[in-house]
Amino acid sequence: MSMTFDINTLIYMLEIIVGGLLVSVGVHFVPVGGAPAAMAQATGIGTGTVTLAAGSGLTGLLSAGLMMSVTDNIWPILATGAVGSMIMMDATMLTGDFIYSYAVGAPYASAKVNYDPITMFPQPPYVAPGTVGQGIPTVCFVSGTIGALLGGVGGAMIYYPCMQISGNPASSAIFAIGIFFVQAVIPSWNIQGTIEGFHDPKFKKWPLAFKASLIAGILLAIMTVLIQPLGGA
Amino acid sequence: MDAFGMGICAAAGALAFVAGASEDIDSDIGSQSNPNSQVQLAAQVGNPHRIYNKAIAGEPPSNALWCAVACLMAYVLIEGYHMPLLFAAVAGASLAALFDGVMATSAYLGRSASQSRFNQWIYLDIIRYTTPSIMAHVWITSFCITLIAIIQVYVLTPHHPFPIPVIGLIWGITVGAIGSSVGDIHYGGEREFQWRLFGQGLNTMLSGQIVRKAEAGLRNSIDNAWFCAKFGGPCTGLGFGLTVFLDNWRTTVFDPVTQAPLAIAMGCFFVIAMNVYNLYMEISARKKYGPYPGYKGDIPA
Repeated sequence: MSMTFDINTLIYMLEIIVGGLLVSVGVHFVPVGGAPAAMAQATGIGTGTVTLAAGSGLTGLLSAGLMMSVTDNIWPILATGAVGSMIMMDATMLTGDFIYSYAVGAPYASAKVNYDPITMFPQPPYVAPGTVGQGIPTVCFVSGTIGALLGGVGGAMIYYPCMQISGNPASSAIFAIGIFFVQAVIPSWNIQGTIEGFHDPKFKKWPLAFKASLIAGILLAIMTVLIQPLGGA
Repeated sequence: MDAFGMGICAAAGALAFVAGASEDIDSDIGSQSNPNSQVQLAAQVGNPHRIYNKAIAGEPPSNALWCAVACLMAYVLIEGYHMPLLFAAVAGASLAALFDGVMATSAYLGRSASQSRFNQWIYLDIIRYTTPSIMAHVWITSFCITLIAIIQVYVLTPHHPFPIPVIGLIWGITVGAIGSSVGDIHYGGEREFQWRLFGQGLNTMLSGQIVRKAEAGLRNSIDNAWFCAKFGGPCTGLGFGLTVFLDNWRTTVFDPVTQAPLAIAMGCFFVIAMNVYNLYMEISARKKYGPYPGYKGDIPA
């Protein structure tokens, strides 16, 4: 397949950049507590940011890939990517909370706010001594769902132009996975590994990651439109 | 929607349940993921132990590697040599288990040897009887995920456009992410610190003070698997099973060609239902456990 630059190439690049920015902003919403959360020592999901964002976003990518094999309309592809991603994230948070409440025996509490902004439940009396909260309270759960939504849409929006260029699902999926990981790692540095969700003071730092992801996105988009045509089916 | 498709979809969900459970138990026996920070710390604060230590990679990348290796071998055997699907999956999973055995052994030797200055020993008996059970669990995980990928690509309609190894890679990352966020809490939050007060997370003061004595004798990683298989493993399986089943179910029941909006709406319904169920659990846990005694702040419970 020969390379041609026209208005479509610019649209493809724009989609890859916007998809990456959605992933980058979405990661800020996901409540990750890192290793301390696995010891019920901090609020959030007990794993790393990139891990979780990738797990949910790539589940969305699987759904989006299936949808794209039957239609070329971008809207159902983006929507099904978002839904697949949200299902994975919510199933993970829900079963994680099973363990917090039925095995560790602790109520869920955030240490970053005094009152849950959604349910208005008081938080500090329920934070165990010597810890910074535990479990995934409602505000974190909703925030994680929003993060998965953005990650799923972003992953599908990166996959869509790759597939339009090469028509090869395998190379498009690998490209989408690679770009997804880059755009998920950048915000992880910004939030220093842990965040509780949109109510966390660290969330205000998102414009920094946005700028960095924009630059990374431009570079990745140029590479994608140069390399993807070579991997055509 | 046809009955055969629904049955296959349910089988994929059941396979995912088994894969999730065995993935978590594998990481508990090997002490691979987040809670291993405490195992690593234990020797440094004067508590040498007999826990296996294979944390050389996070769970998602390592499981992505096993599953991609298993799927790749299965793919070659199916496409190149026309072998039966089940046989190809068995052969692929065996290769993945061998890869894992190599990584686990070198990780245990390397990590324990690097802590020799803290009097941490290398126990050869631990290598001898823990490594095979780690490999066995990795075999189960990668076998189930290879079968899920085969089902998605060759059996379920519409067939998935991704090749089997890419699907294995993605499900491997996902099962690792779920195992690391769900099952680990049972191992790290409960099993490693059983002598502290029940009903709270780990107090920062107690870092590294892991339990080293078992129900009989000294505790090793097989004892941890015995405990975590009762709740942490099944919960991880539930998380991964729900992900695979609900995601496949909505595109099996509703044809993505003609009923795409319904498939998407059904997914949104599941998401809202899970949000509401979590709110119910939060309220119920707050009511049953109550605030922590000794809280001296101004905000009333």
